[in-house]
Amino acid sequence: MTEECSSQRKCFEESWPPVRGEYVVGDPNARVAVVTLASQLHVRGSAISGPCKTENLGVEKIVANVVSNCNIRFILLCGAESKGHLPGNTLLALHRNGIDEQGRIVGSKGAIPFIQNLAPDAILRFQEQVQLIDFIGLEDEAKIAELVEIYNSRAEPYPREPFQVVKKKSTAKVISAGEGDLLLGSGVVMNTATWLVQAEVVVEC
Amino acid sequence: MFRFKREQSVVNVGGIKLGGQPGENATVLCGTIFYQGHKIVQDEEQGAFDRAAAERLIARQAELSEETGTPAVLHLYARTIEALERYLAFADLTWAGPIIVDSADAAVRAGAAALVSELGYADKTIYNSISVATSRMEAQAIKESEVDSAILLAYNPTDCRVDGMLQVLEGGAAMAEKGLIPLAEDLGITNKLIDPGVVPMGSGAGASLRFSTVAKAKLALPVGSGIHNAVSAWPWLRQKDKATKKCCDGAASAMQILAAGDFLLYGPIENAEFIFPAAAMADILVAEAVRDLDNEPAANHPIHRLV
Repeated sequence: MTEECSSQRKCFEESWPPVRGEYVVGDPNARVAVVTLASQLHVRGSAISGPCKTENLGVEKIVANVVSNCNIRFILLCGAESKGHLPGNTLLALHRNGIDEQGRIVGSKGAIPFIQNLAPDAILRFQEQVQLIDFIGLEDEAKIAELVEIYNSRAEPYPREPFQVVKKKSTAKVISAGEGDLLLGSGVVMNTATWLVQAEVVVEC
Repeated sequence: MFRFKREQSVVNVGGIKLGGQPGENATVLCGTIFYQGHKIVQDEEQGAFDRAAAERLIARQAELSEETGTPAVLHLYARTIEALERYLAFADLTWAGPIIVDSADAAVRAGAAALVSELGYADKTIYNSISVATSRMEAQAIKESEVDSAILLAYNPTDCRVDGMLQVLEGGAAMAEKGLIPLAEDLGITNKLIDPGVVPMGSGAGASLRFSTVAKAKLALPVGSGIHNAVSAWPWLRQKDKATKKCCDGAASAMQILAAGDFLLYGPIENAEFIFPAAAMADILVAEAVRDLDNEPAANHPIHRLV
């Protein structure tokens, strides 16, 4: 089941937003998503709104939930910046510069600004689909509502299919028992590298 | 409920012991005061706070520690160095045990290392933390200080699995010049406390528990975590009542202890009231479980006081 934003195209899946988090879903057909950074603010008129306190996992969740809804064309950054982590600065850097080969967000001043769970094409899509509106520090809810209203009327939905961010699956590996380095007693040992519990082999003389 | 094959190191910070085999030393409980959003803080830039309320909270942690036999550490969080100076002066009057100095701001942490050295508190101070985010400036400040105890945050932003965390400690993974353990040794840190850096549930919080056991088996160093962060970051739980939240917090703490944790950064110091009993109970159950594995509880262990 999908939602239609025109007669030909789906703008978001019914299950949107795909990633759970501390946010409030408003009108999924709106053009604006609001990130309130470290502030808890009541936001009206946006597609989705909520805080973001970390420069890695928090930023990833925002990207995943934004690119999976083509209606969203603007991200309004407001509220107080989270000291040390700087997710607002990091979102701006990600949008402007992307990531390097190690996954580090280029130009971010945050403490540990790395992307772990997003493929490079998800970031490219994020850069293309949305424009970031920098009002970091703004906590006036009336002014934020006014900005949301203005930007909600400024663009058409992004002209592609919604982008689903799929979490990277870890490669299955063959586990061998190895030698026990943790003793559970009664001749039972565990190898913490493989996390296998086994009875010790007793060699009788 | 097991014994590590490798002999476990025990470190002594300000008179309390951290580490050892499961069931040997009681889990060290670290309660945070003056944290971001703490209601008793009136001005987080200047470090103004309600002294009577702070004194009550600190005294209660000390009482519960004495009653249960569970050692405690006072975890001071500061937004600025001016605030930290005030908090340290207050802690000196109200708290006899070790302290953790912490801030989200690297410049404040670096300043804290110098300040505790200048004030003569370095030998009872745990620096929180050395991580992949530690800059040369911060590293230099630690090296020049007299601080010799630190938490090494094994958080790996590119691989939050157990192997990824170990890489950060041993080899620096791909994002740092060297691993946190050799880095800490270069900086004069002799008491190394390992913390996986707990991420939210759904992002891999559970790996922190397995990491605790694996890290002790491989490195033989004291390990702990701020497992309460997994609980407080759980959106579903936010709508529940206080009793439900406390129950989950207590359960998470006990799970960390069962997974061989040596210390718990248990979050807001107000939570001492229910975390100390939960931790003492877990310590007693573990001590009883491993008694016939030659894991002997220390003289002041909760098993000798509460049962």
